[in-house]
Amino acid sequence: MSHRTTLFELKDIHVEVEDKEVVKGVSLKVKAGEVHAIMGPNGSGKSSLSNALMGHPGYEITSGEAYLQGHSILEMPPDERSRAGLFLAFQYPLAVPGVTVANFLRAALKAHRGPEADMSDFRRLLKREMAALSIDPSFATRYLNDGFSGGEKKRVEILQMSVLNPKMALLDETDSGLDIDALKTVSGGINRFHNADNGILLVTHYQRLLNYVQPDFVHVMLGGRLVKSGGPELALKLEENGYDWVEQETGLTAEV
Amino acid sequence: MSKSNTDIQIPEAIPELERGPVWLRQRRQSSRQSYNSTPIPQRGLHLWRYTDPQRFVVDRGDASDTVYDENYDRIRQVELKHLESGHLSALVTDLGGREIEFYGIEKLGERGVAVMPVSEAVEKHHDLVERYLYELVSSSVGKFEAMNGALWNDGIFIYVPDGVTVDRPIHLIRELGRTDSVQFPRLLVVVGKNAELTLVDEYGGGAFGTQAGTSYSNGAVEIFGLEGSRTRYVTLQRQSAATTSYLTHRAGIERGASMLTLALAFGGAVTKQNFGVVLNGPGAESKIYGLLFGAGHQHFDNHTLHHHSSGQTRSDIDFKVVLRDRAISAYTGLIRIDPHAKSCEAYQENRNLLLNKGCRAETIPELEILNEDVTCTHGATLGPIDPLMVHYLQSRGIEHREAVRMIVAGFVSDTLRQVPADLRDRISEVVNQRLEHL
Ligand SMILES: Nc1ncnc2c1ncn2[C@@H]1O[C@H](COP(=O)(O)OP(=O)(O)O)[C@@H](O)[C@H]1O
Ligand SMILES: [Mg+2]
Repeated sequence: MSHRTTLFELKDIHVEVEDKEVVKGVSLKVKAGEVHAIMGPNGSGKSSLSNALMGHPGYEITSGEAYLQGHSILEMPPDERSRAGLFLAFQYPLAVPGVTVANFLRAALKAHRGPEADMSDFRRLLKREMAALSIDPSFATRYLNDGFSGGEKKRVEILQMSVLNPKMALLDETDSGLDIDALKTVSGGINRFHNADNGILLVTHYQRLLNYVQPDFVHVMLGGRLVKSGGPELALKLEENGYDWVEQETGLTAEV
Repeated sequence: MSKSNTDIQIPEAIPELERGPVWLRQRRQSSRQSYNSTPIPQRGLHLWRYTDPQRFVVDRGDASDTVYDENYDRIRQVELKHLESGHLSALVTDLGGREIEFYGIEKLGERGVAVMPVSEAVEKHHDLVERYLYELVSSSVGKFEAMNGALWNDGIFIYVPDGVTVDRPIHLIRELGRTDSVQFPRLLVVVGKNAELTLVDEYGGGAFGTQAGTSYSNGAVEIFGLEGSRTRYVTLQRQSAATTSYLTHRAGIERGASMLTLALAFGGAVTKQNFGVVLNGPGAESKIYGLLFGAGHQHFDNHTLHHHSSGQTRSDIDFKVVLRDRAISAYTGLIRIDPHAKSCEAYQENRNLLLNKGCRAETIPELEILNEDVTCTHGATLGPIDPLMVHYLQSRGIEHREAVRMIVAGFVSDTLRQVPADLRDRISEVVNQRLEHL
């Protein structure tokens, strides 16, 4: 696949949560090999967009289109979107008591590979990816996110991404709650995952993560819209000056 | 078949009442008298709010059947294999107290462990039987306990001498006939000082369909854990979906003894079970795990009792309920701490997972705490599977059905971990079956 292929495309996506429109027409094209970042202040609709794209039952896409490798995904249930190659690292991953990290990931990988697939490499794969993310081996037999710290949850989200190896990864505030060492480990994981055939959309409030994972494009989200796009320099400008100047320049407010 | 709508009197001269030595016949007769003179509990009164007591009134004259289904043969074969391969210490099959067969008991006998019919134990272990039989489950508990006390045919007696460890489970299968069948199973267990026992007590069989006539079981279980003993008691209800079932279980444990009770229930049309452990000496510890999974129109009514009659005792209950279709469960959990019982710990949790609209669960904690110096917590949850949890699994490619299966399996996993190895496959199989076509 050439790096010029469009991998992921959003056309005028509108999202409602509890009968309120919170995403008001987002369009975006991610080509294979690209890293995009959506930056925006709290409440601007970043998580609503990410969750809706993954098929979260609480977020309704009222209009718009979304394509992954040319296939329309919005009619698909979440599991099919995942198997088609979409991944979302959640901002607030849920705990699933009684289901261990290893069993969860085995079931997920098996769902991706198909019921007849050989899973004999699973243990080795899991062990390797856990080591790469400095996750203690004992986490394999712990219940998923049950009693995990914020940082541990974020690492385990990235672990899931590494094991499933999706085409398009949406990472929602994956840097929040991480100390500097953890941030390095996690961004190392993201960089190792990234290649010329896949795409990444970093969703973040701060530009901190962008020091470690270099975006090709930065988009600013305000009030449920992408109001400004640019290169990595835009992130630095936001870091230095905050979001006020974008609000003034565009005449929009941050909150939906 | 004649299931009357009024009370039925047990006649004075029937064969069951003539069984055993004089003292036993007297106790049977006094149970009969108590049954006859005790009115049917009033619907709506304590412990009868959710289940019609009339369901448990049955004419013992109905008892006739000795036909058992293929499932019984299959399970018997599976457990016999487990016995052969050393996963079990002994296997006992009990057909309505009329035919009780024992497998693998010779080796246990060499170490003084007794596994035998009560009719034999009244001779060989006369003192123990006379001292303990009817001690915890008798007419003083209630009318239906009196019914069992009068009408039980033959029972099972297990005795583990002081200091002896039975390291593999003893497994009992009590099978109800397929048509017009009534049984009154009875079990007496004495675990000696510092002795150790794991016991699986399985209730199966019963009628299928609506044309099958009476299908009724009323059981009594008494377990005595002497000082320093360790007992694991696992009961499995897998009777047919047309069976009416009643069971009263009581265990008494002495100083430093521990008791783990695992109550698994999947079967029965109407099942009322009452599990109780009395903690009689300092250092005694009881843990009760419950797991029931109801489907169709099944109705479950469960009670647990933790009675701290001594200070410095500890009890813990984890009772889990999964329901689907139009199944119903009521759970009443009583913690009683006597006035002089200082420094006790008592915990109780009842969690209910309702897999669809239409099923119903009730949870009633009851506390009778008569000593202030106590650590006690209780809690209950009741509701559907969290749709966001399902979404999380689905977002990783796992299909909806499989996601639900994994979450329910997760919900029950801590409990299933307590299931002895020989039963584990069968229980997982039942759980998986119950999750089909949701
Ligand atoms: N589950 C929800 N229920 C109700 N309102 C929500 C929910 N999720 C988001 N919102 C609302 O949608 C708007 C955008 O929130 P969100 O997408 O979380 O923003 P961001 O991720 O950029 O901080 C906010 O007004 C927020 O209150
Ligand atoms: Mg957010």
